[in-house]
Amino acid sequence: MIAVRFRRRMPDKGARALLAGPGAVPDATPPGFTGAAEETSSWHDASGRRLICAGLGRVPSARMVREAAGRAVSLAHGESRLAIDARALPPALAAEAAVGAVLRAWRFSGAPPPREDDPEPPPPLLRRIDIVVTGKREARAVWDALRPGVEGTLFARELVTEPANRLTPRRFARRLRALERHGVTVEVLGRKALREAGFGALLAVARGSAEPPCVVVLRWKGRLEVPPVAFVGKGITFDTGGVCLKPAERMWEMRADMAGAAACAGAMLALALRQSPAPAVAVLGLAENMIGAEAQRPSDVVRTVDGTTVEVVDTDAEGRLVLADCLAWTLRRFAPRAVIDLATLTGSIVVALGHHRAGLFATDAALAAQIAAAGEAVDEPVWPMPMGGGYTQALESPIADLRNCSPERRQPDACHAATFLKHFVGDAKWAHLDIAGVEAREEDEPLGPRGATGFGARLLDRLVSLRFETEEV
Amino acid sequence: MSSMPEILFAKPSLPSSGALAVLVAEDALEAAFADLDAATGGMVSRAAAAASFKGRKGQSCTILAPSGLGLSRIVLVGLGKAEELTPLAVEEAGGTAAAALLQDEEAAIDARAASAGAVGKAGPARAAFGAVLRCYRFDKYRTKEKPEDKPKLKRITVLADDPAAARASWPSAKAVAEGVFLARDLVSEPANVLTPAEMAERCRALEGLGLAVEVFGPKEMRKLGFGALLGVAQGSANEPRMVVLQWHGATAAGKAGGKGGRKGAKAAKAAKPLAFLGKGVTFDTGGISIKPAAGMEDMKWDMAGAAAVIGLMAALAGRKAKVDAVGLVGLVENMPSGTAQRPGDVVTTASGQTVEVLNTDAEGRLVLADVMWYCRKRFDPALMIDLATLTGAIIIALGHEHAGLFANDDALAQAITAAGKATGETVWRMPLGEAYDRMLKSDIADMKNIGGRPGGSITAAQFLQRFVDGCPWAHLDIAGTAWSTKDKPTVPKGATAFGVRLLDAFVAEHHEAAKA
Repeated sequence: MIAVRFRRRMPDKGARALLAGPGAVPDATPPGFTGAAEETSSWHDASGRRLICAGLGRVPSARMVREAAGRAVSLAHGESRLAIDARALPPALAAEAAVGAVLRAWRFSGAPPPREDDPEPPPPLLRRIDIVVTGKREARAVWDALRPGVEGTLFARELVTEPANRLTPRRFARRLRALERHGVTVEVLGRKALREAGFGALLAVARGSAEPPCVVVLRWKGRLEVPPVAFVGKGITFDTGGVCLKPAERMWEMRADMAGAAACAGAMLALALRQSPAPAVAVLGLAENMIGAEAQRPSDVVRTVDGTTVEVVDTDAEGRLVLADCLAWTLRRFAPRAVIDLATLTGSIVVALGHHRAGLFATDAALAAQIAAAGEAVDEPVWPMPMGGGYTQALESPIADLRNCSPERRQPDACHAATFLKHFVGDAKWAHLDIAGVEAREEDEPLGPRGATGFGARLLDRLVSLRFETEEV
Repeated sequence: MSSMPEILFAKPSLPSSGALAVLVAEDALEAAFADLDAATGGMVSRAAAAASFKGRKGQSCTILAPSGLGLSRIVLVGLGKAEELTPLAVEEAGGTAAAALLQDEEAAIDARAASAGAVGKAGPARAAFGAVLRCYRFDKYRTKEKPEDKPKLKRITVLADDPAAARASWPSAKAVAEGVFLARDLVSEPANVLTPAEMAERCRALEGLGLAVEVFGPKEMRKLGFGALLGVAQGSANEPRMVVLQWHGATAAGKAGGKGGRKGAKAAKAAKPLAFLGKGVTFDTGGISIKPAAGMEDMKWDMAGAAAVIGLMAALAGRKAKVDAVGLVGLVENMPSGTAQRPGDVVTTASGQTVEVLNTDAEGRLVLADVMWYCRKRFDPALMIDLATLTGAIIIALGHEHAGLFANDDALAQAITAAGKATGETVWRMPLGEAYDRMLKSDIADMKNIGGRPGGSITAAQFLQRFVDGCPWAHLDIAGTAWSTKDKPTVPKGATAFGVRLLDAFVAEHHEAAKA
C-alpha cells in the first residue's frame, strides 16, 4: 500500500492538491474554481509544479471528502509524490481523504514491470501521499481505524484482478496463507475432506476442471466469548458456465467470479489488522467451473452437505451450489451468531440494480438494516430485494428436493437464487449479498481505477464494528 | 365481455338447491358443519376428514351430490386461523369458492366464518367481492363455444349473520369490481379492436358515472407540444389520443346538494387533486427497433397501465369516493413504417427538454413524459402516480410476484406498499439516485431514452422523474404483473387489472374525507 503521512505543513517537494469548499476558496486557486462538489481543476505553476483543486461542496460529508481526494489523486497521474491540503476540514474528516486517496491510487501489483529499453517509459506511479491537516494526532487515530478496511479492500482487488491461470483454487488458497502472518488461522479442505464432509454440490461443480477445488476456512479468534460471525464467499476462480457454456463475448470477465470470496478474505484481513474483539470465520468455496468430459450435465442430481438433493437444470447456476454446501457446513460447524454470504451470483441482479448497488437478501430485519447502514457509510451501497414466498415455486423439481434455477426465459433469477440459498440456512440470522455488477468498474471512478472494486471488504469490516463487537447481538 | 353474477345477502339457512360453498376457519370445522352434518348424517365431516381438509388457507374440497340434500355440490374452502384472518384472505377464499361453483346457475356461500378476527362485519361483502372477481371471463370472441361449456353461475347468495350490514357495504365493493372488470376487458381486447381512438371512446362512455371526460387528438397534442408522444405515434395509421378523466368527489361532497361531475371543476381549486397516469400503448411492435416475433402478441397489453387508471377512475366514480382525482392516459400505437420515428431521432417534449431516441422500443417513457408534464402544469396535483408496463427488466428483477415501485417520497411509497399488501397487489420498492440518472446522459440532447441493460427499470424511472417537477410522485412498473399465466384465487388467468384495487385502497385509506 502507498505510504500515507499526516503533516501540519505543506512539503516543499511534489504535487499539491487543495480540498476546498465554496466558502474557503483561497486566492491561489485558478479563476472560476468554486469549490462545488465534484469540481476539479489542475494546472502547473511557474516552477512546473502540478497544482490541483478538488471541490468539497457546501457541507462536505465523509464520502465527499473521500471522493475529492480520489479525484485529486487521479489528476496527479505521473507524479510520484502528492500532498493533499485538507486543512479546511476538521482532522477527523480530513482523515477520510487518506481513504479516498489510497483507494484511488491503487495499482495491480502483478502488472509486468516496464521494460528497461522502452523508448517511452510509462510515467512513475504515486509512491507517497501526504495529508496536511490541522490536528495530526486526531487524524492519525481516525486513519488507524479506517486503514485496515482499506488494506482489506486492496487485498481483495489484487485477488480479483489475477487471471484465472494464475489464481486457481489451489493458488488462491496458498495466497490466503499470507493471512497467517496477521494472526488469522488458515485451514484448507481438499477434495478428500470435502468428499467426507458431503460437499456433493461443490464437488459436482468442480468435476469438469483439471484444477482441484478446495474450501478455505479463515478464523479470527477475537476476544469476545461468543460464537463467531461467519462470512461465506463464492470463489469460482473461472466460470465458463460449464456444459451450459456462456457466450464468448466478455467471458474474460468471469475471472472475477471469485470476488465474493476475495471480499470475505479482505474483511478477515481488516479485522486482524485492527485487532477486532469479534470472533469471525470466513468459509470460501473455491472451484473452477469448466466444460469437460467429466463435467456435470444439466439434469444431474447432486446431494449437498445437509442431505438436500438438487436437480442441476443449468450448470451455469453453479455459485449457489457451492454456497449451499458452504452455508450448510458453516452453520453445522460453527453455529455462528450470523452468517453473511457474498457472491457474484446472478446476471439478473445487474439488470435489476445496475452497477451502483448490490442486492441484499436477508432473513433478519435488524441485520439487514445494519448491513445497509454499513454499506452507505463505506460507499458500498446495497438495496433490499425479495425472496421466498411465490419465488419458491420456481425451484420445485419433479425428481429432487430442489432445482437450482428456473429453466424459463426472463426470470427474476436473483430472487430465485436467494430463495435457493435460504433453503440451506434454516433459522439462522442470514444475509446474502449478490455483488454481481459491483465487483468491477467499467471506468475510472473517484474511489478506484477501472477494474476490481473489492466491494464488500469495507462493508463487512464496518458491519462487524457496528454489530458484532459486543457480547449482545 | 363478462357479466358479473348478481350478489344477494341473506340470513344463514340451508339452501334447497344449487351449489353451496362453506368458508371454514382452521380448527373450527365442527361448528361450521353442524347444520350440514345434521342434514346428511355426518357425511360432510367424514368427507372433510377423508380429504384431509383442515380449513387451512388455500385448502378446498368439493363434495358432489350430497345425500339428504337437494344440493348439486358442497364446496369447503379454508380460511386459515380465525385470529389471523384478514380481508384479503376472505376475498381469496371467496374467489376459490367461486371457481368451484361456476357450473351451477345458483349458488350460496356461507360466509359466517368470514367475520372473524379483525375482519368483522365487512367479511361477507369481502367474500362476495373475491367471488365476483374470480368470475371474470373474456369470451366475446368465442363464437362456437357450446352453452354447456360456458360457466353458468348467475346468482350468488352470501349467507351472513348480519345481511343488512353486508348489503350496505356491497355497492362500493361492487363498483371496484366493475372497475376491475373494465380494466380487464380493455387489456384483453386485441389491438385491431382497441385502437387509441376506440379506447378513448370507451372512456367517453364513463361520463354516465359522473366523470368529466376530455379527449385530445393529434392536433390538440401538437399544440401542447407533445413531441415525444407524437413521435411514438407517427409510425401508426391509428391516430393517438390523450384522455383526461376528472372526478370531483370531494368538491361535490363539500357543496350542499352539489351535483359533482364536471360542474365541480372550478370549486376544486381549493384542494389539489390526486393524479393517476397510465401508459396506453395499444400495441407495441417496438417500432423500427422491432421486437422479436416470439411472444410479440403479449404486446396487446402494453396499455395495461392506462387500463388500470381508467378502471380506477370508474371505481372511484362508481363508489362516489369523496376525493378529487384526475386520470390521464396517453394512447398510442407503436408501429414500424415509412413514417415511423428512427433510432437517433431527437424529439422535444412538452416540457421543452429534448430526448435522443436511441431505441424506439423504449417508447412508454416518451408517452408518459408528455402526459406527466401536462398533468403537472394543468392540475398542480397533490401527488402523481403512474402505472406502466414499462420495462422487461422489471420482470428479470422481480418476476411476477411484485410490481416495481419507484418514488421520490418515502411516505407515499410506504402508503402504496401497505395498500399493496392489503389488496394482494404487492409492490417492491426499487432505488432511484443520481448515479442512475447519469446513465441517461446524451451526447446531443438533454437525455437519451435508454440507459442500457444494467438497472434498466431504474433508468426508465429516472427518465420519468425528469418530468415530475418536484411533485410527490410514484411510478409502478407493472410489466410483470399486468398479465397472469395461471389462475389465482381472485384473478383468473389473463388480464389482472393490477393497480385498480391497490390504488382504490390507497385512496380510501389516505385521501378520502371521513366516510359518511
